[in-house]
Amino acid sequence: MHGIAAPQPYVIALFLLWAALMKLLSRRMRAQAGQTALARLVGAARAVPALRLVAVLELAVAAALLLPPASPLEGTAATVLSAGFLLYLTYGRLAAPASSCGCLGTHARPVNWRGFGRAGLLLAVSVAAIWAGPYPLDATGVVVGLAEAAALLALSAELDRHWLTPLRRLLVRLRRPLAVVAPEKIPLEVSLRLLYLSPAYCSASARLTSDVQDVWDEDGLRFVVYAARERTAVFAVPLSDGDPSAVRVALIQEPALA
Amino acid sequence: MTSRRQLLKSAVLGGGAGVVAATAFGSLGPEAAFAQAAPDVEPGTPDPNFAEGRIRSIKDNTLFVLGSNWVFHRIRVVDGTSLWKLGPVAFDQAKPGDGLYARGVRMPDGVLAAESVWFNIVNVKGHIQNITSEKVHLDHNGKQILCHLVAGKSVAVYSDAPPSADLSQLRVGQHVQVLGAWRPDTNEVDIATVFSPH
Repeated sequence: MHGIAAPQPYVIALFLLWAALMKLLSRRMRAQAGQTALARLVGAARAVPALRLVAVLELAVAAALLLPPASPLEGTAATVLSAGFLLYLTYGRLAAPASSCGCLGTHARPVNWRGFGRAGLLLAVSVAAIWAGPYPLDATGVVVGLAEAAALLALSAELDRHWLTPLRRLLVRLRRPLAVVAPEKIPLEVSLRLLYLSPAYCSASARLTSDVQDVWDEDGLRFVVYAARERTAVFAVPLSDGDPSAVRVALIQEPALA
Repeated sequence: MTSRRQLLKSAVLGGGAGVVAATAFGSLGPEAAFAQAAPDVEPGTPDPNFAEGRIRSIKDNTLFVLGSNWVFHRIRVVDGTSLWKLGPVAFDQAKPGDGLYARGVRMPDGVLAAESVWFNIVNVKGHIQNITSEKVHLDHNGKQILCHLVAGKSVAVYSDAPPSADLSQLRVGQHVQVLGAWRPDTNEVDIATVFSPH
């Protein structure tokens, strides 16, 4: 038990240190303080002082945890702080669901399950730190501590752009999930974009009263039919050629079709 | 249907001219767009010739639609009505639960005779969070939207380039705009066009 408890103060202290320094030193974070749930809680004008106050608290708890002498009070203080984080996230989720949490850096994403997971893990680590005592670190403790730190970092959406996005890009490059296997048919949207650029469409568009009524392909042309008030507009769009001036149009009086 | 298509085909190909002669049907120049009378709608009031909402029921050729502002619409679909659901579709594709936008002419009895109906059409912007097999996971203001690639229908427009059926240039983390068809009561969308800034 002591072996597992021993690394907890270091894990939580380093995490709090990172959070406190981000809040104190990051200019962007102060600039965006008004968009966090904290601004909703204390008012936009007091968001930056509140952010600094939280940072000082975090710094104090981190220092107490890192510096001797070890005491169960330090773990208790960390537990109270972590429980406060969890309460704050719950408040943010309920009162300002669109706001970000402003915990560890600037990002505009609202509080989600990862934020709660991180705060919950932090609370568990803090509770375990109460029993840490002045025990030396052993191999088990180091492994547990590193695993916890990795889990905390993985749950931090602030760091996603450094590892998750590049990882997903790599996987996409390797697996090519959107690669199309030899499209047998040209999508209609390709022909419509060519149509919109054509002089024929420009000359007739003011008269069109409907969206596409009918489409069919014949002789290397795609025929597109629109309603044009009492008439019908039919366009012939070349399938292979990308030249908009090759598009033809005719306006036809509907009774003639009967 | 085939004979009508043949007639339309011969009309568009037989004329020979790229643009139909102005003498036959009045001016077809761009000025025609400005010659139209302004729509007769008081500013701030709803456009009577437009309806939106979700289909509650379908009877014969009439859609019973409840608008998002709790206004009830009856929308009549006729032969000349264009229907869109990830592309032009037939009337049997309309299902209760589908969302729609409709434009047409309001009849004296309150029925909207539709000229065009777009089912489930959505236009969303967001960041690509992930790309998995034939799916783009979009982060739209913190909410996840699953966008499906539909072979033969979905296209991508990269910057100003002509559209392409190849969506594989999309990158995780980039910003995109997706035009598509919502799958009712889910957070899923079938992609019609995805616009990428680069």
